[in-house]
Amino acid sequence: MSVNVANVRQVIERWSRDQVLGLAPDGPSGKAAQGVAAPGRWQARGVTEEVLWGECAGSGAKPYLACVDLGGPAYRCSCPSRKFPCKHALGLLLLWSADDVPDEDVLPSWAAEWITRRAARAEAAQGEREALPRAEGARDDAGSCGSAPTGVAAVGIGDGQAGRRARVAAGLAELERWLADQVRQGLPGAEERDWEELGRRLVDAQAPGVAAAVRRLGRVRAGGEWGRLLGEYALINLLAVGFRRRDELPAELARTVMMRVGFPVTRGEVLSGPVVRDLWDVLGRRDEEQDRLVSRRVWLRGRRTGRAALVLSFAPVGQALDASLVTGTAVNADLAFYPGATPLRALVATRHPQPGTGHGTPPGVPVEEALAEVASAVAGDPWTDSWPVVLAGVVPAVDRLGGLPWHPRVATPWRLLAVSGGHPVTVAAEWTPRGLIPLTTWYDDGQAVLL
Amino acid sequence: MNDAWDELVSAALMGTHRRPYQGELLESAAVHVVRRRAGRLVSEAEAAGGAAAGEEAEAVSRAAGERLARILGGEQPRLLPEWLQAAAKTGRRVPPHLVPDLLDQGARDRSIRAHLGVLAGHRGRWLAGLNPGWAYLLAEPTGETWELGSAGDRRAYLRELRAADPAKARGLLEGGWEKETPDDRAEFLALLAEGLSMDDEPFLEAALDDRRREVRQHAADLLTRLPDSRLSHRMAERAAACLTVRARTIIAEPPRACDKEMERDGVRAKPPRGTGERAWWLQQIVARTPLAFWGGPAERLVRKRISDWDREVKAGWVRAAVLQGDPGWARALFAWDPLADLLAALPPAEQEAVAADFVKRHGVDGQLIMVLGGVSVPWGADLALAVLKKILKVAGSQPWNLGELTRIAGECIDPALHAMAAALSPEPPVQEVAALLRFRSDMLKELA
Repeated sequence: MSVNVANVRQVIERWSRDQVLGLAPDGPSGKAAQGVAAPGRWQARGVTEEVLWGECAGSGAKPYLACVDLGGPAYRCSCPSRKFPCKHALGLLLLWSADDVPDEDVLPSWAAEWITRRAARAEAAQGEREALPRAEGARDDAGSCGSAPTGVAAVGIGDGQAGRRARVAAGLAELERWLADQVRQGLPGAEERDWEELGRRLVDAQAPGVAAAVRRLGRVRAGGEWGRLLGEYALINLLAVGFRRRDELPAELARTVMMRVGFPVTRGEVLSGPVVRDLWDVLGRRDEEQDRLVSRRVWLRGRRTGRAALVLSFAPVGQALDASLVTGTAVNADLAFYPGATPLRALVATRHPQPGTGHGTPPGVPVEEALAEVASAVAGDPWTDSWPVVLAGVVPAVDRLGGLPWHPRVATPWRLLAVSGGHPVTVAAEWTPRGLIPLTTWYDDGQAVLL
Repeated sequence: MNDAWDELVSAALMGTHRRPYQGELLESAAVHVVRRRAGRLVSEAEAAGGAAAGEEAEAVSRAAGERLARILGGEQPRLLPEWLQAAAKTGRRVPPHLVPDLLDQGARDRSIRAHLGVLAGHRGRWLAGLNPGWAYLLAEPTGETWELGSAGDRRAYLRELRAADPAKARGLLEGGWEKETPDDRAEFLALLAEGLSMDDEPFLEAALDDRRREVRQHAADLLTRLPDSRLSHRMAERAAACLTVRARTIIAEPPRACDKEMERDGVRAKPPRGTGERAWWLQQIVARTPLAFWGGPAERLVRKRISDWDREVKAGWVRAAVLQGDPGWARALFAWDPLADLLAALPPAEQEAVAADFVKRHGVDGQLIMVLGGVSVPWGADLALAVLKKILKVAGSQPWNLGELTRIAGECIDPALHAMAAALSPEPPVQEVAALLRFRSDMLKELA
């Protein structure tokens, strides 16, 4: 009993081992997956054009059934692990990446069933989205733009927006006074615990975005760079002033201020807005832990539109993070951007079938052009502190790339230097005010190398 | 603009109540910060050091590269030397993005460096020029010549020449002998083991007077392998002076002193801790005496009673059998004491037969592992089967003892036998060996 789902001939290019391990939710999962990635552990396995499946002998009598929809990608396994993707799905992917999974035309019935159910669910979601009212349907999974959703859940049902705004206004007014005081007394006066305390009060005032920014000050202070601390103070102050005077701002900038302060835009709201369809290169990603929450940033750039995008997801430490965007691949999708003066954050609204594979090196631009783009992003949203760029024809050096320094926390990117060998290459990097963070580079033949 | 910024920072640092500032300091600062972020300029200076030269050799296939990445990433890390060796035979190189990890590995593990010079290509040497931690690479062979190459290059050159034309290689070495460093002299001399003959004897005899002990030791070892060398004759005379072979016994009377001549012939005067001087000298004399000296078949000699000095004489024989590569003696001595070293003196097929027999009769312990470690690789079907059956047998009774045995089996059995191993039994340890063999089989196919 099996179903033939291979109707469209399209072959997914095998991912590299690095790309697969990059999907692991944490280090131990990657290690465990390598243990499972032994042909002997799998009683059956196979891959159709889009679906990879396998039956892995576990400790029990019944094997675990693992299945990966490569087009999604989406993962499923019958094991009880709360990790996602689990070691079985990852192990199976590793085997596939090593060309150790035989091609098959037919799926076993359990895998076919799952794929069918998934397709049905996706269709239902699509319908729901199209019919979505403007009301706050789904809670935003991520809180404000660019910050963790601290305290979002604290907004009680029936708590009026006006009431909340008043509380935020009071909190930010206190923040303004505090900052003015710092400048009057001298910067060295404040200490880590002052920011902690201030951050807590801002959470109570329901301004989680500002609270997170204030709590990050501890790291800045640790570096002992007073100029940086002053800069951060100035931008936080600017946000508070912006909130106070939001009625005088252009509508888009006012939206940006609200989001950065911590008024979330719901998923539903974003998805009901216009979408941008393109072939999006997945340039790289960065996971960061703050307050026992892991945030994952995935950087994208559209082939046709040249637009930059950031897909952000969150999960408690040790739990499932969105693993559907694989670095070095390109996805044909509709993205719905969050509103704002410089839209960057986006949601994947719909994924379309891939038009062929092996998209190769994404188009890049000279450094000057990338900087001009960053400049207009910063001009639109002055709090922009991160922007994905693809630089073409740059020669990486030990201390910089294309005349821009690496971020101080970046260790010498030897892998990038090795691929380049002192010759010009295309490099995807994250621009930050302090320097570049390398993401991905490409060989001449289009093979992606994760950095 | 920078001056204005510095002004802002120092005002904020001091506090405006001490250093007044005209206007809203935080707002001015915000303007500065945003302006600086948006208006960043590219610094012109470009990297020194230039670009890496183009590669003559092609990179290994993508599949082979991915497997190397797996090995470097911690999957089957012990197979790295085998991968490198197989890759070196293809004449290809490692793809650039894997070179840094490989060079890091080489920085920790000297034993793999010899292949890295060629495998890392020009890119590797370019990187080694940028990272002092990888500078060792610049001394490894790259295919350069005798006159200009690194020490590694010159060793490789000499090794090849020696295999093709032993006399010419010796001539080359003799020509510049005085100018070589002591380390190089020792390394080069050891390479004469290949294609050794009596033609080398005068040169080696002269090398016994070298200033460096390692050189003298290598020369003595090589001369020991030549039964007609002057050194062998001198040793036979010394043996005759202290050992008498009788019908059932051997009478030993070790030397009472180690004279200058003995030392020149490679006898070390100072014994290791716990060994008596005379015992030590006796053992070394026996080791360097041509085995033909003893007459009769080894099996019979090994059974003779040796007054007081049994252990020393037999230890000397073991060393002699290994040094002189004598299969007859090695066989006889192995029956008396199964030492891995002795196996090396047997032809490969016999090594396997002897080891397989040993596996059948012996439990899983350190000695079994040692003996198996002495068998030349890859193991053929007979030894493979003997070891797999042993694994199967032990799996039922003492599985905790299997780790090292399954590992060595997986690493040494001919990988082409993976299907046989997989079909033998579904027991996990056997399947583990089969999986490792398959991994190696695939690996070698990718590098074929």
